[in-house]
Amino acid sequence: MISFIARRIVIAIPTIVLVSIFVFALQKMLPGDPILVLAGEERDPIVIEALREKYRLNDPLPVQYFAWAWQALHGNLGISLRTNAPVLDLILEKLPVTLQLAAMAMSFALLIGIPAGVMAAVKKGTAWDYLATGLALWGLSIPNFFLGIMLIFLVSVQLNWLPASGYVSLGESVSQNLRTMIMPAFVLGNALAASMMRHTRSAMLGVLKQDYVRTARAKGLLEPRVILKHALRNALVPVVTVGTLLFGELLAGAVLTEQIFTIPGFGKLIVDAVFNRDYAVVQGVVLCTALGYIALNLLADVLYVVLNPRLRAR
Amino acid sequence: MPATKNTDMPFSSSLAPRPSEAGEPVLRVEGLGVAIGPAERPVTLVEDVSLEIAAGRTLCVVGESGCGKSLTSLAIMGLLATPPLRVASGRVLFEGRDLLTMEPRERADLRGDRMTMIFQEPMTSLNPAFTIGDQIAEVVRRHRDISAEAARATALEMLRRVRIPSPEKRLDEYPHQMSGGMRQRVMIAMALANGPRLLIADEPTTALDVTIQAQILSLVRNLQRETGTALLLITHDLGVVAEVADEVAVMYAGRIVERGPVEAIFDDPQHPYTIGLMGSLPSLAGDQERLVTIPGSVPPPERMPRGCRFSPRCPFAIAGCHTAPPPLAEITPGHWAACIRAPLEAFVGAPAGEAA
Repeated sequence: MISFIARRIVIAIPTIVLVSIFVFALQKMLPGDPILVLAGEERDPIVIEALREKYRLNDPLPVQYFAWAWQALHGNLGISLRTNAPVLDLILEKLPVTLQLAAMAMSFALLIGIPAGVMAAVKKGTAWDYLATGLALWGLSIPNFFLGIMLIFLVSVQLNWLPASGYVSLGESVSQNLRTMIMPAFVLGNALAASMMRHTRSAMLGVLKQDYVRTARAKGLLEPRVILKHALRNALVPVVTVGTLLFGELLAGAVLTEQIFTIPGFGKLIVDAVFNRDYAVVQGVVLCTALGYIALNLLADVLYVVLNPRLRAR
Repeated sequence: MPATKNTDMPFSSSLAPRPSEAGEPVLRVEGLGVAIGPAERPVTLVEDVSLEIAAGRTLCVVGESGCGKSLTSLAIMGLLATPPLRVASGRVLFEGRDLLTMEPRERADLRGDRMTMIFQEPMTSLNPAFTIGDQIAEVVRRHRDISAEAARATALEMLRRVRIPSPEKRLDEYPHQMSGGMRQRVMIAMALANGPRLLIADEPTTALDVTIQAQILSLVRNLQRETGTALLLITHDLGVVAEVADEVAVMYAGRIVERGPVEAIFDDPQHPYTIGLMGSLPSLAGDQERLVTIPGSVPPPERMPRGCRFSPRCPFAIAGCHTAPPPLAEITPGHWAACIRAPLEAFVGAPAGEAA
């Protein structure tokens, strides 16, 4: 098990290097020059040249890359061209907000998606199945921004139950934080709940046909135990793996949701950085996101093995 | 596997001591029918099946694939995939009580405890996600009010009784770490853990190597002898039947065509299908030039003939065979055949073509 994880981490290293090169090259290919933004209205050539020297933009690209990568390895992702704050600090400040949002969305998706998928599979072909499948189709089809705006209109404007926007951190007030986060989490987790439901349903349908489910019944076990222990335990293997990978997509999907509900998270950081051509921040954010995806892939692999005794021995 | 040597000897069923018990049979099936499809237009897959087994006795149900053997056993256990399958008629009396009118909960209480079943496919019948020990202990704890440790001890004891080598180690292994024969032993351990009155074995050796088949069969037989369990063994292997059966029921196209003591079925078969089945049995004596086969094939359930279901393939069929299904009639005491032309002594020996 340990050696399996170690091997997966070693395999991930070339991927990380490739990603970092790509991230570095990408910002070199972007149109627009941040120095011009910094230099201000006059665009004094002397100032521009000084700025280029200061940010080492005159060095050959490989040198720039290694300098950047070396610093990045030490946690120095550079200084925001815009605010002069260290990029890492910016990320560490915004990331927890988005992680909380994504975790809440994920919990929501699991709490709704898995039970609904199990029910749809067990009651296949009945009204319950059609209801769950129909709701899932709805959940997958409706765009985040539309659902978000509709919910703000209904819940905040009409009913005045929850605030439409404004963010309160967990440190300030837990209850206020939850009041501001619950609607965004629902919006963000909506599509994921639908896809979890569909994955659970199809995995359960496959497992319920297995001989060992019949064996469980032959042992005299009652239906809830047959379904929730013997069938679900096996159906969860692919569902957990897919769920882990989809968590990464939640982080990406958070960009829109955070814009709608004006939550100062990772998504907002990306959008602002891109619009301001704040290269160092864009680089840092993209690198972090890529590392996050790689870590989630690794986690999915590990979970797949942990949940699957047939693979564990290797 | 030296541990199994002493029990895996070939044995003769006639020498075996048979616990005989007077009175109520453990299982008594009366006119069981299994159907599929809508209630207004059902297709009958099993029709009018009647059986009984006494404690300590072995009934073999034989017949070719698709004749309804497995459906019958699943219907008895209450494990039919419902829907689409359902029990359409009959009674299934277990120790005198009708299982079909019982509350599902009450029936589940019997299942795995008083009546148990092992299946054809040991490779897929165990849950891949749990250890062997957990799966055996689970059936014990489901029906006995004992601690987890005690259930584990029972599981270990059962692994010993089914002669699995180094059982302490195997207890914590997963099914994928075991061979098919070992997994079938685990299934047997699970089925016998609570000391059932009835064990149904649905082709328990079909998926196994020939050498393992004999071991598994003799294991089942020995454990059955020790415990006095009634055994309903489903098989299409007449060699197995000859070895283990006390009574035999021959099924064809969802019906029982002949039923009786094993000696009577082998020495004096009455139904033309049984005769054909015996003829299909290859002999090592080598006096046959070709294997005898039964011409034609089983009609599909929705196009069953109105009369005797074997009549389209039967060399002895006469007009009366096509009008109504023949009832099971007692030819000699305890020996029943569903053939209006039985006894067939007059025709046997003459080439079938001429007799018809």
